Amino acid sequence: MIDVLAQAETQLPLDLYATLPFWPLLGAILTGIMIAMRRKAEHAHWPVVLGAAVSAVLALVLFFDLPGALKHENLSATLAHNFENSSGSAEEQAAELMTAFTEGDAAEHAIGDYPGFTHTLYNWMSFGERQSLDEESNQWIAVNFYFDGLTGIMVGFVTLVSLMVIIYAIGYMRDHHMHPERGYERFFAFMGLFVFSMLMLAMVGNFVLLYLGWELVGLCSYLLIGFYYKKPSAAAAAKKAFIVNRIGDFGFALGIFALYMFIKPLAQPGENPLDYEVVFRYLPAIASEPSGFFEMSKATLVALLLMCGALGKSAQFPLYVWLPDAMEGPTPVSALIHAATMVTAGIYMVARCGPIFAESQAALNVIVTLGVIGAILAASMAMAQFDMKRILAYSTISQLAFMFVALGCAAPDVAVFHVFTHAFFKALLFLTAGSVMHAMGGVIDLRYFSGLRDVLPKTRRLMLVGCLALAGFPLMAGFWSKDEIVHYAFEYHPIVGILMLATAGLTAYYTFRMYFLCFNGRKRLPAEAGDHPHEAPPVMLRPLYVLAFGAIFAGFLGVGLHVSAGHSFLGFLAPHGYFHTYLHDSSIVTGLRGEPGGVGLMYVSAAVALAGIALAYVRFGKAPETDPDSVVLGPLWRLWHAKYYVDEIYDAAFVRPLRGLGRFFFGMDNHGIDGAIWLVTAVPRGLGGGLKLLQRGALQGYALGMAIGLAVLLVLWRWWETGAN
Amino acid sequence: MLVPYLLIGATLFVLGLIGFVTRRNLIIMFLCTELMFQGIVVNLVAFGRYPLHGNVPTLDGQAFSLFLLAVAAAEAALGLALVVLLYRYKGTLDAGVWTLLKDD
Amino acid sequence: MSGALLLTMLTLGGVGLYLAMPGGRLNYGRAALVVLAGAAALLVALVLPLLGAAGQRVWFALLAVVGLWGAVRVITHRRPVYSALYFVLVVIAVAGMLLLLQAEFLAAALIIIYAGAILVTYVFVIMLAQQAGGPAGYDRRAREPLAGVLAGFILLGALATRLANAAGEGMNAAAETDGGVGTVMNVGTELLTHYVVGVEVTGLLLLVAMVGAIAIARRRPEPSEEGEVA
Repeated sequence: MIDVLAQAETQLPLDLYATLPFWPLLGAILTGIMIAMRRKAEHAHWPVVLGAAVSAVLALVLFFDLPGALKHENLSATLAHNFENSSGSAEEQAAELMTAFTEGDAAEHAIGDYPGFTHTLYNWMSFGERQSLDEESNQWIAVNFYFDGLTGIMVGFVTLVSLMVIIYAIGYMRDHHMHPERGYERFFAFMGLFVFSMLMLAMVGNFVLLYLGWELVGLCSYLLIGFYYKKPSAAAAAKKAFIVNRIGDFGFALGIFALYMFIKPLAQPGENPLDYEVVFRYLPAIASEPSGFFEMSKATLVALLLMCGALGKSAQFPLYVWLPDAMEGPTPVSALIHAATMVTAGIYMVARCGPIFAESQAALNVIVTLGVIGAILAASMAMAQFDMKRILAYSTISQLAFMFVALGCAAPDVAVFHVFTHAFFKALLFLTAGSVMHAMGGVIDLRYFSGLRDVLPKTRRLMLVGCLALAGFPLMAGFWSKDEIVHYAFEYHPIVGILMLATAGLTAYYTFRMYFLCFNGRKRLPAEAGDHPHEAPPVMLRPLYVLAFGAIFAGFLGVGLHVSAGHSFLGFLAPHGYFHTYLHDSSIVTGLRGEPGGVGLMYVSAAVALAGIALAYVRFGKAPETDPDSVVLGPLWRLWHAKYYVDEIYDAAFVRPLRGLGRFFFGMDNHGIDGAIWLVTAVPRGLGGGLKLLQRGALQGYALGMAIGLAVLLVLWRWWETGAN
Repeated sequence: MLVPYLLIGATLFVLGLIGFVTRRNLIIMFLCTELMFQGIVVNLVAFGRYPLHGNVPTLDGQAFSLFLLAVAAAEAALGLALVVLLYRYKGTLDAGVWTLLKDD
Repeated sequence: MSGALLLTMLTLGGVGLYLAMPGGRLNYGRAALVVLAGAAALLVALVLPLLGAAGQRVWFALLAVVGLWGAVRVITHRRPVYSALYFVLVVIAVAGMLLLLQAEFLAAALIIIYAGAILVTYVFVIMLAQQAGGPAGYDRRAREPLAGVLAGFILLGALATRLANAAGEGMNAAAETDGGVGTVMNVGTELLTHYVVGVEVTGLLLLVAMVGAIAIARRRPEPSEEGEVA
């Protein structure tokens, strides 16, 4: 009976949910086949669109299905645990079980267990030691999926936003005559591959496959940033992204190795030490033990190493330099990969590994520090850029830093909430910027156009929605999530809270600077815009409406209705709503602080956001042609515009020495090793060359040689004879 | 009695060899090989007349020389025919132009 | 014969021959002749004591000098026709020496075949392949005379020292025997009894050579740039 109870029940079979990542992959493969068969590009998008749509539908069903299943499973685990520890007759225990099952509350966690279950598809690799080949291996890396609330949320918004971006891309990846661009099919194939990779990353149940998904999204990012591969800057940006990611991934891999090393002694035979469940079960036992490195505890070591991966993938200080360059890719790529999904993988991973990070205050402190630095740095750089996509890229870095700060303040549920809302409005902003770029004939530099309010009315309205959300305008999605982060920042340390609040103000300021410089003022168009730039076609606009809807209303998922005596009328909308409950009840993301935020701070954040917008209007409302900040702030502005010269510093400190080292090794290989081999071959060659001289092809020379030989022989013979005598 | 003839034969042979190696005219080269034959004939007949074993002169050397004569005649005829052919190809009798065996 | 004498003879001969070679910067014709004459005289003087009868010595000396002189001129003369004629001289000298060795039939055969047939063929071919105007370039200069002379005389030295010690029981065989040594009858009998197979094979050889000569002569090659044989 315990076994029956332990089976998680979902509305649809678990195997069907397990197919979620594979529909976009199927679409990508079909597109690849279409490429190989050289079909016309016009319909190349359908397989991937359909695949993403199917995944989105499945994800939606999963989202609503999970709480029930998890309650069931968790309850069974609790009951199983209790059953083992209880005493009494069999009938009493059975009665207890039935009561608990029908009336029980899933909020109780079994000791050491977290809500969530693993569904194994098949065993992939065996590992470990065996005495002989005949022995059956009992240690497997399995292809398994971990289902819990975090998975449900991640999969939900990833598929939805991906689907919107892909539909938008159908219209974007075309030229002025609406013919598909070169490489249209290749684009969609890669997008399908990416969605598959991201879903795998979010759904798998062990660290090995997590790393697989991690690398795969990095690969897709490389392929898509370098989509216009003939452009040198795009190829360089793709390489930069991949290499910087790799640096982070190195730390990530080391963290996984450390995890294996620490968990392996504790794991039972048959358990994979890298399965999430296994790790979370045994980690608390050893978390505080010293690890042998610089007097860090084991949990701290693992946490810091895993954090390296998050720094790389989520573009945090110091590994953020690839993200602005990644804007070389087509705008849908920037929207999907570098705003809504891939860059959130780092946040997801830290949230998923909550138990590990929770054991290490030192790691959390490091995360907060890096997050604060990153947020302020990126916000300041965004204030002095003119390329719209770059502004949005720095904004992404800054917002991701916000999420990092939330994670570091032990509020992972808030971080995930911000991931969720951010995906909608950031994708919206990027895609509207893409519409502007499309209309301006490829120009996205704010110095070359302005006053587009009448040229692109619908795009303007959509971008306004996105900007308001990003700036944290009250009642928009961004407001709720950002406000919570600020609150927890204050709880962590007041200075951190003030810094985050200030950054929120800066966010509002630079966001609306961008908006006003683009749409306000005198109408100016660049030469590339052609005769009359036109609005985006419906295929591009309709997904944006969906995203805008999300940008406005997604925040309300995290808002609770508190109509009770303890709150005033003005406070009836307060943070902590369905979203948080969903996470708390069905995943490890518990928000270890666990309390809903105060109301007073909410008003302060609202005021800061409005102040930022007002200041931006004052300075940029008329879309002046010279940036007033550059005049007022002078050298500081120039520093921000030059992005603090970080790229140049990295180039001098790392790239050049490495290149020099590479050249040295290349020379050593070329001249040293190849030279040694050349020497070896030079000997026979020299000998041959020498002997070649004897073969002149002249008959008389040969005769002469024969005569000389005969003479020598005779002389020697004579000598030998006389000697013998 | 034997040695002088042997020495003369050896000298004729060596002179023929030197001529063969030194001259560049194809026909003269052939002539020098005939010169070598002369030296050989002298040697052979001398060995036959003053044999190393027994004190009766034998006719072995002379028979050998007769056959040698026949062979030399055949060889001269064919060789000269070929020389004429070679001359027709290159327009010159210079042995130095024939370097096909040279590895280049 | 002592080694020093041999060495002197060889050296003189070598130097002389080298000087006599056509072409080159050294063309001391007269000096060469003098040196060569000295060498030849030395040679003959050395070997003469070994010969028995006085008549033999005189004839041998004469024939040896003439033969050697002819041979040197064969290899050093610039004009091919003269080389051929000097060769005839060599043949006559060798025939003479064969007569001294009592090989009458062979001497006659040598003259008939060499001087009468082979040399005629040579002269014909020389005239066929004649270039206009004087000795051609390739006749004017010897090819690597130093190496050739050196190699040749070292070989001669080796051969001479070896041959000079040839000793045999029949070394001083009787000068006259009954019925002659190399008479026609003796040679004929010898050939047709002991060497009959060789005779037949030689006949076949001559047939093949004739056929070959006709086959080669029938070709009409095109003069081409590359030396590709058609």
